[in-house]
This record gives sequence, C-alpha cells and structure tokens, in this order.
Amino acid sequence: MANELPLLSVSQFTALINQTLEYAYPAVEVEGEVASFKVNQGKFVFFDLKDAESSVGCFMMVFNLRQPIEDGMKVIVRARPKLTPWGKFSLTVEQIRPSGEGSLKKSYELLKAKLENEGLFALERKRSLPRMPEHIAVISSTQAAGYGDFMKIIDARWGGMKVDVAHVQVQGEAASDQMIRALEYVNQQQELPEVIVMIRGGGSADDLSAFNDELLVRTVAASRVPVLTGIGHEVDVSLVDLAADVRASTPSNAAELLVPDRSDIRRYVQQSLRQILAATDTGIDQVRRDNSLLLQRAFERVEDAHELYVRELASRQSLLAAYNPRRALERGYAIVRGEAKVGAVIGIETSDTLMQAEVTDVKRK
Amino acid sequence: MSKGSKTITEKLAELGELTAWFESDEFTLEAALDKFAEAEKLAKEIDDNLAELKNKITVLKTDFSK
Repeated sequence: MANELPLLSVSQFTALINQTLEYAYPAVEVEGEVASFKVNQGKFVFFDLKDAESSVGCFMMVFNLRQPIEDGMKVIVRARPKLTPWGKFSLTVEQIRPSGEGSLKKSYELLKAKLENEGLFALERKRSLPRMPEHIAVISSTQAAGYGDFMKIIDARWGGMKVDVAHVQVQGEAASDQMIRALEYVNQQQELPEVIVMIRGGGSADDLSAFNDELLVRTVAASRVPVLTGIGHEVDVSLVDLAADVRASTPSNAAELLVPDRSDIRRYVQQSLRQILAATDTGIDQVRRDNSLLLQRAFERVEDAHELYVRELASRQSLLAAYNPRRALERGYAIVRGEAKVGAVIGIETSDTLMQAEVTDVKRK
Repeated sequence: MSKGSKTITEKLAELGELTAWFESDEFTLEAALDKFAEAEKLAKEIDDNLAELKNKITVLKTDFSK
C-alpha cells in the first residue's frame, strides 16, 4: 500500500502546526490561575496558566503587562497558541487582566502600593481647577449614562464654555488604550483646554478595571492639563482617581465641582449691591452725625459768648451804679454849685432839699 | 460675549473691587454716587451675560480606537 502521508522534517512539522494554529486560532482568551510567575532580564515574562486539571505555559513581553500579576491570581489572557522550535506548546500573551473581584482587588492593591511609592498620588502634585473654565475636554463614551448626566448638569449650571469631547470606550480591553490616546491627543493640542474631565458611570469592579491600568494612570499623572475624574459611584476609587488632580465622587459631582451655578453668581451680585447700599447708608449717617455735632458745637459757642456778654454788661452796670452821684447824696453828702468867692450865691443840693446860700468866707486847704 | 469685551470673571472681579472700595477708608460720599452707578451697571451686564451663556460642544472626529 502506498504511503499517503507527507514526510515532514521536524521543522516543517512545527511550521505546519503553527500555520494551522494561526489559521484556526488567531487569538484565544483563556482564564486560569497564575503559577510560577517570573520576569527574566526585566523584559521577558513567563508563567503557567492552570486550572484543576491542566496547565499551559505562557510568555509575554513586560511592556504588555499593564497590571501587576502574581501567583495565585485568577486572570484572563488574550493570546496566540504556538509550538516553539524546541517542541513546547505555549501561549504568547498579548493582553492579560485580573479576573474576578479577588484578583482585581489584589492587582489594584499591588499597583496602588507601587505607584504611591513612586509619588504619583502625592498631594503636592495636585493642581487646582479654574473657577470658571472657558475651554474643557471631556474623555468619555458619548453613549454612557454618566456622560449624559454630566453634560446635562454643566448646561444647566453654566455656559460660554468650549467643550471638546473625545469619544472612547470606558470599559473592556480596548478602553485603557483609547483613553490613553485621547489624553495624549488633547495634551498635544496647540490650544490646550484648561481641564480634562474623565467620566463614566457606575459599574462592577470588572467594568471599572480599565481605570486601574498602569499605563493609563501614568498618562493621567503626566498630563500637562489638570485632570478631573468622575468615575463610578462614591465608593469607587480607581487608580486614575488617585492620580488625577481633582476627584469627584460621580459624573454629576464632577459637573458641580467644575463650574459654578448661575444662581449662585446672581446671589453674589445682589449681595454685593446690598453691601454697597449699606455702606452708603452708613456713610450718609456718619455725615449727618458729623454735621449735627458741628452745629451743636457752634450753638454752644454762641451761647457761651452770649453769657459772657451778659455777665460783662452786668458788671459794668454795677460799676456805673456805684459811680451814680445820687448814691453820694443818699449817704448824706451834698452837691454845691456856684463860685467859691465871698458874696457869691451858691446852690446846695442834698438828697431831699435844694438850698441857696451866700458865701461869707473862703479858705484854701 | 464679543471679543474685546470683558469676561464675566473680569466683571465679577471689578464688582468685587467696587464693593471693597465702599467698605474701605477711601470711601467718600462725593465719589459714592458715580461708583454706585458703575456697580449697578456691572450687575446688570453680569445678569444679562449669565442669561445668554451657552456651551459649545464639539465631538472630536479623531477615532481613538486606532
């Protein structure tokens, strides 16, 4: 019987298997537990992915490792199956992410500790937001509820802003890279916005896991433009939140932190006018009081002067009275009128009598 | 608001300065009348500007999936 099978060398066989694998399984997603995790020469990552019955070797480059992984963690890998030249079957991993809340939490804690140690979350790095921004960029999914809430609230509270929206995925494998591209795009614009706002509504830990991607967190920390985040609910604190300049608890809260409320501004203006009126009233009262005081003082001075004149007048009257000749007559003196020579007739006036007499003798004292 | 005209932020700052003048030692009744008229005018302008404010929203055409 003729041999129907082709005769292959080992290399040809390996190549054929790899071609078949590439054709049949260009990419697979496999979930399993990490074991024997190691990084060689700071570049090459090796680990086994296992479940209760099987295990497969995995290989990847360290720059594809976007979140910390350690033995025991449950992960999902996106990979290409391959037969190596030395006959080992392995998965060449392109993406890896923690799977399940436990692993997600573990990975989060590991990365948080690492980045915190590097100072990425330090308070001194935080920049404040402008009070009334005129130009902002929003990075979000335009189909997401969180985006809708945010836009509704900023429109209700404020206006006059130029809002550039970068539509991206906010969950799933591609989300982190899309958000990174959007951040880099905005940061490279000639006319930079004053704030970048990153928005997404609530979700599970897995839904929000894109916001714990190391590269994304580093891109946020390196942004030239201050970043405001409004991700998930109040209790959800992602690593992007920690790296941002300002963290809002929700997309709605982000809108409230970003822009003032028109009605608050109107109240402030009315309050200012009331203060001005009050200050004017106080000023007028003060002038009235000053004028009253001046008038009163002037009146007092006139009174004082009048009193002085009255006293002076009384004094002179007394003096005049003292010099009145009638007083001398009443004391018993007499007024003699006429010449002091012998034979002259003189008049003599006392207080109650008028007499005439003849001078009989004159002697000088 | 047209280019060259003051922004709301600038007008609010100016109103703040006027309010501070009324409460400062520099206050005089003689100057108060004109300054009050100025404050009232600013307040009206701010109110009008607030009513007119609208956000201009542009969704960027760049495809960030690539």
